[in-house]
Amino acid sequence: MIQRISEPVSVVSTFNSATKKVYPTNIVWRQRIYKITKIGLHHTYRQGRTLYHVFSVASQNLFFRLVLNSETLFWRLEEISDGLSN
Amino acid sequence: MDFQTNFNPEKPYVMHIDLNSCFAMVEQQANPLLRNKPVAVAAYATSSGCILAASYEAKRLGVKTGMRVKEGRLLCPSLIVLPPDAPKYRDVHLKLRKVLSSYTNDFVPRSIDEFVLNLKDYPVSAKGMTNIGLEIKKRIKKEVGDYLTVSVGISTNRFLAKTACSLHKPDGLEEINKDNFESVFSKLNLVDLCGIKARNASRLMGMGIYSVSQFYDSPIWKLKAAFSSIAGYYWWVRLHGFEIDDVEWGRRSYGNSYSLPKPFKSPKDLSPILAKLSEKTGFRLRKAGYKVQGVHLALLFKDHTYWHKGLKLPHPIFDSRDIFKTAFRLMCKSPLPKPVANIAVSCFNLTKKDTLQLNLFENIEKKKELVSAVDNINKRWGHFVVAQGGMLETSDYVPDRIAFGGVKELEEITTD
Repeated sequence: MIQRISEPVSVVSTFNSATKKVYPTNIVWRQRIYKITKIGLHHTYRQGRTLYHVFSVASQNLFFRLVLNSETLFWRLEEISDGLSN
Repeated sequence: MDFQTNFNPEKPYVMHIDLNSCFAMVEQQANPLLRNKPVAVAAYATSSGCILAASYEAKRLGVKTGMRVKEGRLLCPSLIVLPPDAPKYRDVHLKLRKVLSSYTNDFVPRSIDEFVLNLKDYPVSAKGMTNIGLEIKKRIKKEVGDYLTVSVGISTNRFLAKTACSLHKPDGLEEINKDNFESVFSKLNLVDLCGIKARNASRLMGMGIYSVSQFYDSPIWKLKAAFSSIAGYYWWVRLHGFEIDDVEWGRRSYGNSYSLPKPFKSPKDLSPILAKLSEKTGFRLRKAGYKVQGVHLALLFKDHTYWHKGLKLPHPIFDSRDIFKTAFRLMCKSPLPKPVANIAVSCFNLTKKDTLQLNLFENIEKKKELVSAVDNINKRWGHFVVAQGGMLETSDYVPDRIAFGGVKELEEITTD
């Protein structure tokens, strides 16, 4: 089931200088820590001039759609899913 | 005129690449919890929404593109239905484009998920086309997404490369050349060829052509007679492995359409949606530096009847409000009130003329500056931040979508 969230979220991310990749490693949402085990996709889109980075990531059993506003550097959790049918 | 009657003897250098079940597979790439599960991307996730793409797991259970969500769910109760995410698919398209552009600059996107590469005379072709195909598959997995698979077709022209690509899905790699074309053709039905469906097949059958092998062996006069046009000659050229489809068509119009979530009946209900479609079209054509001298409106009704009308204007226009006014005038001539399923606005007679006819009743230069200022605000802060009042309460309508087979749209995303 997919659930739209749209809430600010705390994210720990890492930058690997060898692969030149940035990706989230942990998120803290509603007083719980979720360790990111898999990066699905990173893509970007623009709203006006602001560039948003979207990280589609998964913990052991939850999917998170995280969006980083590159202007404010604030993260938002837009969506979670357990990968099951609605 | 003498024609070579054999298959093109040249080495195949044309490669067709197709991302399998594009939208569904990109969603499975993004969400690892959806992998190996039946997934469908639908225009709307409601039961009457139209399925745009189904994952291979869903296809195996009979779910097909074009079905309603409720039909898909009947075949597969555990079907996971997702709404489309256009920016995600465009981003994947651009990443694929980046990988492919490292092999040749002679490549053309045929749609959001299809590319044609011509490697003739490029040093990389020395590796061998099959090896290049395998390398591209590996690089896509490494650089774009580890779950993404592409089918690769290789031949001497675009049409046969596409045919080769469709022989084995998903994750195929096939070649059609002078040595194997007969065996490939013998296994295909007429309707397996891209561009031949029931009507064209019946035209061919009317001339005694029942198989692809017979189609290949038919003389040009017979094919011209079957199609009653030059198209018969084009088919002969295609099937013999010569290129006829490397034509790039220029931009002749701009337009936007929308399938309505509920059947609006009156011009009053449709007016805000028409205003939004006009605004989208106007913004795109101004961004490309065009003005237009014609507006066209098309309505598809719930009862599957169709109405359309175009109007040529005496002077070029550029303001979305003028496009809307013209389209609204056209709509008032339509057989409304009647439930509408789809509405489409397009502008034709494009011109890049800088000088505009001065108008006695309005200041064109002032209007130009106003429209340009509004466009700049919307470019900075996002679409429809400033918009005409008639568009109020349309935020849920006319969302961002990928055009089916929209090659022209792809020009716009690569020039952003």
